[in-house]
Amino acid sequence: MHIPDGYLSPATCGALAAVSAPFWYVSLQRMKRLLNTRMIPLLSVFAAFSFIVMMFNLPLPGGTTGHAVGVGIATIVLGPWASILAISIALVIQAVFFGDGGITAIGANCFNMAIVASLTAWAVYRVVAGRSAIGSPRRIVAAALAGYLAINVAALAAAVELGIQPTFYHDASGAPLYAPYPLHIAIPAMMIGHLTVAGLAELVLSAGVVAYLQRADPGLLAGTAPGASTIEARSTKTLWAALGVLMILTPLGILAAGSAWGEWAPEDFTSKTGRAQIAAASGNQAPPSAAPAGLRRIASFWTAPMPRYAPPMLKSPVFGYLLSAASGAGLIILVVLFGGWIFERRMAVVERRMK
Amino acid sequence: MKKGFIERTLANLLSASEYAATAEDMAASRGLLQAIDPRIKVAGLFGLIVAVAASRRLWVIEAIFVFSVMLALSSQIKLARLLHWFWIPVLFFTGTLALPAIFLTPGRPVASLRGIYVTVQGIRTASFLISRAEAASTLSALLVLTTPWPWILKSLRTFRCPIVMVAILGMTYRYIFVILRTAFEMFESRKSRTVGTLEPRERRRLAASAAGVLLSKSLHLAGDVHLAMQSRGFRGEIYIMQDFRATFRDWWWLAAFTTLIAVSFWCGR
Amino acid sequence: MARRLHDPDRSLFLVWPVNVFDVSAVSYRYDSVPAVDNLSLAIQAGRRVALLGANGSGKSTLLRLLDGLYFPTSGSICFHGQPLTEQRFEDDRFAFDFRRRVALLFQDPDVQLFNPTVFDEVAFAPLQLRWSREQIAERVHTAMESMEISHLRDRPPHRLSGGEKKRVALASVLVLDPEVLLLDEPAAALDPRSQSQIIDMLIGWGDGSKTVITATHDLGLVEDIADHCCILRNGRILAEGDPSELLRDQELLARANLIHAHRHRHGSGSVHSHPHTHPHRHE
Repeated sequence: MHIPDGYLSPATCGALAAVSAPFWYVSLQRMKRLLNTRMIPLLSVFAAFSFIVMMFNLPLPGGTTGHAVGVGIATIVLGPWASILAISIALVIQAVFFGDGGITAIGANCFNMAIVASLTAWAVYRVVAGRSAIGSPRRIVAAALAGYLAINVAALAAAVELGIQPTFYHDASGAPLYAPYPLHIAIPAMMIGHLTVAGLAELVLSAGVVAYLQRADPGLLAGTAPGASTIEARSTKTLWAALGVLMILTPLGILAAGSAWGEWAPEDFTSKTGRAQIAAASGNQAPPSAAPAGLRRIASFWTAPMPRYAPPMLKSPVFGYLLSAASGAGLIILVVLFGGWIFERRMAVVERRMK
Repeated sequence: MKKGFIERTLANLLSASEYAATAEDMAASRGLLQAIDPRIKVAGLFGLIVAVAASRRLWVIEAIFVFSVMLALSSQIKLARLLHWFWIPVLFFTGTLALPAIFLTPGRPVASLRGIYVTVQGIRTASFLISRAEAASTLSALLVLTTPWPWILKSLRTFRCPIVMVAILGMTYRYIFVILRTAFEMFESRKSRTVGTLEPRERRRLAASAAGVLLSKSLHLAGDVHLAMQSRGFRGEIYIMQDFRATFRDWWWLAAFTTLIAVSFWCGR
Repeated sequence: MARRLHDPDRSLFLVWPVNVFDVSAVSYRYDSVPAVDNLSLAIQAGRRVALLGANGSGKSTLLRLLDGLYFPTSGSICFHGQPLTEQRFEDDRFAFDFRRRVALLFQDPDVQLFNPTVFDEVAFAPLQLRWSREQIAERVHTAMESMEISHLRDRPPHRLSGGEKKRVALASVLVLDPEVLLLDEPAAALDPRSQSQIIDMLIGWGDGSKTVITATHDLGLVEDIADHCCILRNGRILAEGDPSELLRDQELLARANLIHAHRHRHGSGSVHSHPHTHPHRHE
C-alpha cells in the first residue's frame, strides 16, 4: 500500500499532507503531555520496532505469506496518538532512506497507513474489547478485527486517492497523468489484495501479539484497557463465529440494499447506461467493452503476493461480492467510528468523575 | 522446497542492513554530489522530484531523468546499483501495474487483439506513470546515496522541521539497527532449532511471538535509553549541533538547481 | 580536600568533610520485588569502589539510584549532603549541576549510544548543559582524542566494533569531566584486547582525584580498578573492605555466587570438587 512517487498529483499529495498535519500536531502535543521526557526515546524505539516488524514475512492461513504494517499492535499497546507518530516516522524513513513509497506521497501514505489505520484500529479495538479482562480471549478477537479493518480501511482510502486521479488529472487527449484507473477499477483491485492477503497479515500479527502479551507481558496491554474487568470471559468460539458471520453478511446486506457503492460493479461496463456514464466521464471516448477481463488482470498485479486460491475468486460474480465487501468495510467503519466516538465521550465522563 | 517465512524474514533483514551499509559507504565517498552542502542538495533534489510530479509533458520528465543519471555517474554511483536497487524494482512494480492501463484506458485505438484495444491514451498514461516513478526514485536515491542520514536530518532544521522530529528520526534510524540485529539473532537461533516443517498454526504462533518478544524488548530498551539520556542531562528539550557552511561553490549549485527547477516547471506546464 | 558547596535554594554553605554519597537504609522495588534491600553505604571523595556481585544482586540498581535515575522506595541517598529526591531534580539548576558532576556508563553500549553519529554522541551532554559552541567543540575534540576515537567522528554507532562502542560511550560521559564516575560492567562483552585498553584508560583517568564506583561480577577486575570493595547479594551488602582481603575469602565469594564449585575427574576415577575462582577476566 506504499504509494510511490508519480501516482498522485502534487495537489493530492499536498492536500493529504495538509490533512495529516493537524493529526501529527495533536498527537505530538498529547504525547508530550502524557510522556514528558520519555516521549523522544519511546517514539524513536517504537518507530524502529514498527519498521522492523514491517519486514516480517508472516505465514497466513491458506499457505501464503504477507507483510503487515504493525499499526494494529502499535495502537493496542501505545494508543492511537503514539501509533500515528511511530508509524509515520517508520514510513518517512522507509520512503526517504529505503526508497519504499514516494517522497511526495509521504503525506498520503502517512494519512492512510498511520492516521486512518490507527484511528480505525483504536475504535474497533475499544468497542469490541469493551471492558473485558486483560487476559480475556475477547481481546484477541478485538485485536484481530482491529488489525484487519484498519488495513482495509487504509487500503480503501488509498484506493480512493488513486481512483480519483484520472477524473481530475488528464492531458488534452484524455490520457490520465497519474494513477490511470478510475474508482471502479482502483477500489476492487486494491481491496482484493487487502481483504485477502495484507488484511490477514495484519490480523495474524495483531491477534498473535496480543495473545502472546497476555501470556508473557500483560502489563503492556493495560495502558489501552481502562476499566478492564477482572472476570474472565467464558469462550471465544461464539465471538469468532460472530466475527465471521459479520464479515460475510455485511457486504451481502449492502449488495441487497443496493447502496450507491454498487455502481462500481464491473457489470456496469457492459450495461448501456454504465458505459454511457463512463464515456461521458472520459471525454466522450468509447470505453472498451471488456473491462472485467482487464480488471481481472490488474487485480492480480495490484498486490505482489497473491494467494493460491485467488484466481477462481476473480470470476465475475465473486468479484461483485468482493467489491461490495470493500464498501461493507467502509460502512462498518463508519458505524464503528461513530460507536467509538460515543464510547470515548462516555469514557471521558467516567474519567472526569474519577478525578 | 519453498523457502519458509523464517528464511524470508532473515533475507529481508539482511538485505536491509546490507543496503544501509552500502548507502552509508557511498555517502562517505568522494563525488560531485557528496561535496555539496546537504541543505542545498535536499532542497534541490526535492524540488526536482516535485517538478517530476508536476510535469504534464513526458519529455520534461525524461530530461530530468537523464540529468539525474548524469549526476549519479559523476557521484561515483554505479548504474548497476541503481538498476538493482531502484530501476528494476520500480519497473517491476509500476510496470506491471501500468501495463493493463494500455488496454483499459479509453481512447483512440491503435491496435486490437481479439476485441481488446490498445489505445494511444493508454500508452501515454503508462509512460507517464513509469517515467515519473523511475525519475523520482532516481532522484531520491541520489540524495540518500550521497548524503549521510544524520546530515539529511540536520539540514531539515533549515526548513523549519521541528527539532523533536529531527531528533526522533535520528534516533529511530539508530535503533532500527539495534532491533534489526535482535530480530536477526532471534530468527537465526529459531532456524537452527527448527527441524522439519511446522504446522501452519505453529508457524503463525511463532511469528507472532517473535514480534511480541521484540516488542517487549523494544519497550524495555526505550526505558533504558530514557535513563541514559537523563543521566546525561536530558530534560525534555533536545539540542542539536549543526555546522554546515555553504561555500561559494554551493551557492552556484543553489542557483543551478533553482534555475533547473523553474525551467522544468515552466516547460512542464 | 576542602570542598565548599553552594546550595542556591537554602543559601547554606556545606563544608568538608562530607561524603560524596551517603546511602542510608535504602530499599528499591521493581513492582514489589526488592532489588535493593535496606542498604547503607558511605562513599568518600576520591575513593575507587567496586560493587561486586552476581547477576541480580542489585548492583546495577544501586548505580542507577546513585545517579538519580531511580529514587528509593524507602531510605535516603545524599550527594554531598544533599538528598537526591524527585522534587530536587525538578529544579533545573540542581539537576544540571548534578548531571555534570556525576556520570554513569551503562553496561549496554546500545543503550548509551542513542545518537546518529559519534560526534553527536559525545556532544550530547554538553549540548544539554547548554555550553557555548566553542567550548563544546573544544571539549568534544579533547574527549575524542583521549579515547582515540577522533577518526570515527562521523561514523554511525551501528558501524562500530564492541571496543569502539565502549570507548565512544566513555568519551560521551567523560566529556563533562565529572567528579564521580559510575561504571556498570565496563569490561563486559569485550574481547581481551579491548578490555585491557578500557581498563587502562579508566586507571589513567583523573589521576586519583576522582571518585570511581564500578559495578562488576568480574573478580579479576576488582584489584585493578578499586581500593575498596563491597560484596552484594540480594540487594544487601554482604561484606565490605579491602579488595585483596575479600577476594581471598573463598567461602564469602561462594556465598555471593561469585565463584562456583569446579568439578574435575582425577586419575583414580573419583570426582572431586573444590571452589574455583576466575583470576582472569571473563570474555
